[in-house]
Amino acid sequence: MDPSEVEFLAEKETVKIIPNFSLDKIYLIGGDLGPFNPGLPVEVPVWLALNLKQRQKCRIVPPEWMDVEKLEEMRDLERREDTFTPAPCPYYMELTKLLLNYASDNIPKADEIRTLVKDIWDTRIAKLRLSADSFISQMEAHAKLDNLTLMEINTIRSFLLDSLNCMFKLRSNLQPGSSKAQFTDY
Amino acid sequence: MPCERKQLRYGHSEGHTEVCFDDTGKYIVTCGSDGDVRIWEGMDDDDPKFITVGEKAYSLALKKGKLVTASSNNTVQIHTFPDGDPDGILTRFTTNATHVAFNSSGSRVAAGSSDFMVKVVEVSDSSKQKTLRGHEAPVLSVTLDPEDEFLASASCDGSVVVWNIEQQTQLISWPLLQKTNDVSNAKSLCRLAWQPGTGKVLAVPVETKVQLYERGSWDHVSTLSDDLLTQPINVVAWSPCGTFLAAGSVGGSLTVWDVNSKLCVERQKHEKGFTVCGLAWHPSGSQIVFTDTEGCLSLLDGLNTSVSNTEHTKAAVKKPAKDYDALFDDDDDDRLMDEGLSETTSPAKKPVTGDDDDDDDFLMPSTGRVRNRGAILDDENSQDTGSLRLGQDKFGDDDDTGSVVVPAAAKSAPLRPVYEGPMPTLPQKAFQPGSTPAHLTHRFMMWNSVGIVRGYNDDQDNAIDVEFHDTAVHHAMHLTNSLGHTMADLSQEAVLLACPGTDELASKLQCLHFSSWDTKKEWMVDLPQGEDARALCLGQGWAAVATNTLTLRLFSIGGVQREIFSLPGPVVCMSAHGEQLLIVYHRATGFDGEQALGIQLLQFGRRKKKLINGEPLPLSQRSYLSWLGFTAEGTPCYVDSDGVVRMLNRSLGNTWTPVCNTRETCKSKSDHFWVVGIHENPQQLRCIPCKGSRYPPTLPRPAVGILPFKLPLCQTSTEKGQMEEQYLRSTLFHNHYSFLSSSGYEIDEDGQGQSQKEQQELLMKMFALSCKLEREFRCVELAEMMTQNVVTLAIRYASRSRRMALAQRLSEIALEKTNQIQEDEPEEQEEEPQYSRPASRFGQSESTGGRYSSRHDQEEEEEQEEEIREEEEEEEDGQEMETEESTESKKRVNPFAKEAGSPVMPSLTPIGKAGRSNPFKMLGSGKPSAPSGQPRVTNILDNMTSSKKSAPLSGSAGKQSKGPVLKPLAPRPKTKTQSTLLQMTNTKSANKKTQQNMEPPAVQHKQAEVPPPTSPAENTENKRPKTGFQLWLEENRKNIIADQPDLEETDVIKEAMGRFRTLSADERLTWTERAKGQSGDAADLKKRKRAGGVEGGAGGEDENGQAAAADETSAKKKKSLDPSSKLSAFAFNKN
Repeated sequence: MDPSEVEFLAEKETVKIIPNFSLDKIYLIGGDLGPFNPGLPVEVPVWLALNLKQRQKCRIVPPEWMDVEKLEEMRDLERREDTFTPAPCPYYMELTKLLLNYASDNIPKADEIRTLVKDIWDTRIAKLRLSADSFISQMEAHAKLDNLTLMEINTIRSFLLDSLNCMFKLRSNLQPGSSKAQFTDY
Repeated sequence: MPCERKQLRYGHSEGHTEVCFDDTGKYIVTCGSDGDVRIWEGMDDDDPKFITVGEKAYSLALKKGKLVTASSNNTVQIHTFPDGDPDGILTRFTTNATHVAFNSSGSRVAAGSSDFMVKVVEVSDSSKQKTLRGHEAPVLSVTLDPEDEFLASASCDGSVVVWNIEQQTQLISWPLLQKTNDVSNAKSLCRLAWQPGTGKVLAVPVETKVQLYERGSWDHVSTLSDDLLTQPINVVAWSPCGTFLAAGSVGGSLTVWDVNSKLCVERQKHEKGFTVCGLAWHPSGSQIVFTDTEGCLSLLDGLNTSVSNTEHTKAAVKKPAKDYDALFDDDDDDRLMDEGLSETTSPAKKPVTGDDDDDDDFLMPSTGRVRNRGAILDDENSQDTGSLRLGQDKFGDDDDTGSVVVPAAAKSAPLRPVYEGPMPTLPQKAFQPGSTPAHLTHRFMMWNSVGIVRGYNDDQDNAIDVEFHDTAVHHAMHLTNSLGHTMADLSQEAVLLACPGTDELASKLQCLHFSSWDTKKEWMVDLPQGEDARALCLGQGWAAVATNTLTLRLFSIGGVQREIFSLPGPVVCMSAHGEQLLIVYHRATGFDGEQALGIQLLQFGRRKKKLINGEPLPLSQRSYLSWLGFTAEGTPCYVDSDGVVRMLNRSLGNTWTPVCNTRETCKSKSDHFWVVGIHENPQQLRCIPCKGSRYPPTLPRPAVGILPFKLPLCQTSTEKGQMEEQYLRSTLFHNHYSFLSSSGYEIDEDGQGQSQKEQQELLMKMFALSCKLEREFRCVELAEMMTQNVVTLAIRYASRSRRMALAQRLSEIALEKTNQIQEDEPEEQEEEPQYSRPASRFGQSESTGGRYSSRHDQEEEEEQEEEIREEEEEEEDGQEMETEESTESKKRVNPFAKEAGSPVMPSLTPIGKAGRSNPFKMLGSGKPSAPSGQPRVTNILDNMTSSKKSAPLSGSAGKQSKGPVLKPLAPRPKTKTQSTLLQMTNTKSANKKTQQNMEPPAVQHKQAEVPPPTSPAENTENKRPKTGFQLWLEENRKNIIADQPDLEETDVIKEAMGRFRTLSADERLTWTERAKGQSGDAADLKKRKRAGGVEGGAGGEDENGQAAAADETSAKKKKSLDPSSKLSAFAFNKN
């Protein structure tokens, strides 16, 4: 799975916008949107919000979790806990990136938020690496990790699976070899 | 001892400081760790003279023009005063001196040093000096006996020692203090003090108390203490008269005791809670100057020592002091609270030495003042809104001045004659609805449904920002506000601004008419001298300004003066919508917190008239008006300060109905909702939630929320109450349709139909509920509010639940309603004579049919004819069945004729307004309605949805004729009403027989209905053979139109094709067979098959099933009409 695909999925999340135009309900496959009244907040998917924003047709209201205080709290909690804490939003990283890239003028303290989300991300990825490491070093057959987001799983998937495959090959090569060696010893 | 604490001001850099007065009391002299001695000419001296005495100055003493300082170069120097010339070095120590002190005559100086020594030196001859050795730690402080006999010193070794100067011996030593190793570590500076005059008592500060020792005996005579003193006392000083003792403590407390009574007569707290380290009395005894470890200088003024000096009985001193204390309490408390903020930061700062930032802070002597000003401003903010409330229990005039005048008011209050009747209320000031208070530097001057006008009025900028919610109206504007506009309004066409007049300049009105098509987008008007704009508003094509001279001036949007008239009272606010102008003014003086407001509603435009003529405006108790405006649909509304939203009920003689209480949804008491707009369709109250205030700040940009409306009906927790509330609300918010149509605006027919449907559904639900509760009378009441179609449903419901008496009554109501409709129709037809023909067609179907059949121009028309004919046949059937009854009922006088008729009347059939076709839209109307007979009433409410769709059609016969588009379709709705009537009579006759037998007549009727279309079709369509689809269309056209009354002819056919395709293959085949039977043309069949083939493979099945289907033709005919089969046909319109 490509990160861009994950981002694509994240764009289905809804976000509040304040449109500056007027439009009736629009009927789309994914559901009805609108009606759009200028000055009145309305929920739309992120892809539409960004599109409208780029055309300067709306202001984006940042999601509730995208708030410095809340993120600070989450970061601290994330650092305190050994396990993964529930992410602020299943697509927090993608949304932060998208919204801050295209609508940073509508989000108060955008820079701080960017740093905080990056902090949270780093902490979580570090935990993920650590658990992968202990998983391999302890030769476990299975492991359970809660509260991982799609993007996080996606970042480690290819590496972890490939390396496990690789190790499996090495091990399976080793055993016949060693048995052969034993045989020869015999 | 009332005293005033003067503003703190910056004296020296952070560190130990000392202070004293010169002999005359004219100068304040301070020294500090910056090594300077500053000579202040009073507290207001902004440019004090300074003498640099060293790198640091530890202590100073001043007497008789000699300034003695202890500086960091281990010397005690003399400077002349006030010139500041160096006058030699008095003495030296091996390390720095810590404290210097003069004797009372100024002939000797005592100095204590960190090298454990105390020296007493003659000022005139520095060689004559006595050295007192014996301390085992740095000396903290020294003091000389006024009689020059003794010297007392305190040291870090914990002892306080009295020396005999001449003999240089210790007389007595008290171990009173904690031991430390250095002055800087000592908890207290322990500045001792002899009582001036005879030196009877020595005061020694020990921890939080002051111990007094008697001279000579050196006995401990008494202790001065105060409960509020919690931190060690640093410094004590006697008043010049020797009666009072002042002490300054580490925590910043200043306490003054009367030594004789040992009572505390004055307490003050340091403004910022800094440690007091220098304290001095003014020679007159009326002021105390003090400095702190942060280098600040402050002064207590107005100490009334001389008066209380003469009479110090306990009562005399204490009582008045207490009284005054009480008076000033508020004031002081307030300040302390204000300073609380800065106080909390100071402990953190203290440990940091030499922090330049802090210095910067204090370099601005006005910082505290600014903060204070801010606090006062805030007070005013809160009072501005609250002042009205205050007004009710005070005399009401000077509230704004706040606590400053409290003492004065308290004094003057007893003088006034006591009046105990109701107090007049302060009349509320004029305001612009949707603006925040004018004294704010950043404020909303207007927030309405068009946009936002923000005003900035701070040091850098005096500007106005105009922003539109809909950028399509206009781009955002930024104006410099050089005229000082305070009022604004915004519409789709223009921005209107006004400023109050000044002495030189008249009040101005400025209009930015941005929608103007010429190049001059702006005009300005000066109001006459002495006339100030108080309220303004923008309508469509006009602007109105109300002024303080009770005049209302009306301008056209281009700047032409159009009208002028006088108002009955001072204006409070105005609002405009389209051609309507709403003015609220003071009708009279209100009492006991009530406002006496009047309201006028005027209409301009072609028919100028007054709709509401100065009626009192109902407000909640003790509240005032906080918002006035129109709903987006044009119904006047207002909000009072209690958060109750009221709306004009035009259908009930222009009364005001409370529709919402915004305070109910507030989480806390101090939260409010700031209303910015009201919409009736959809029902929305748009407002901004404000935490802890009445209005929002401009930053961060507030977000609009939506509140639902809720009428305050009784028992809204019960199902009944809820439905009643919903029904009432729906009808109330439905009023604007009739208003709009009467004033010639176009209306949203869909919305109207929706709300009517909702109302009828609610009525039906309420009916069902009352049935369950055995409230039959209530059922009848409800039925009277229903439209005729719904009544038939109600009848069915009643009879199914075995309430025959109820059903009987309901049927009477239904009849009345029917008659009402019939009576109404001829009247309307008289109005519109060209439409009288369809009516006269009654009973002469042959002739009209013939007339119509002569026109074969378009197929569509033919189809219509077919339908008309069908319906006529139905009518004939129906009429035969119920001629007697209808004639009977026509004669009967209907007492409720008007009421009963009204709900059926209003709908306009939507014509010529093609709906947006959307490929993804699920059509709710996919279920074809079956107005002609519903064989099974499984769920009465489900069926209602479909049958009621025909309701707008049924009532529209007359109204539609008014429509500009003349359509051949027009007469049909009337015949439709006939068919529904027929249906009703069918059921009624069934009811009479037996309840279970309800269906047969309907079925029979339907069977009778089926054949007619074929025969006329044969007559008219001889030349043109028909396809199965056409036949089917003829049959079902009515349903389609009932479902989607707004379709165009071509759309109807498209829709029909879509539906026809969804029929099962068998059914289609049946129709084909029928078409074949009529025309016998095989080519048509092929054509139809091709059409069918588009849908996919249906054609093949046709072929296969043909034989089998042929057998069942007759059965299928019936089935195809059965609405239940059509219900399953889900119109997924692919066109």
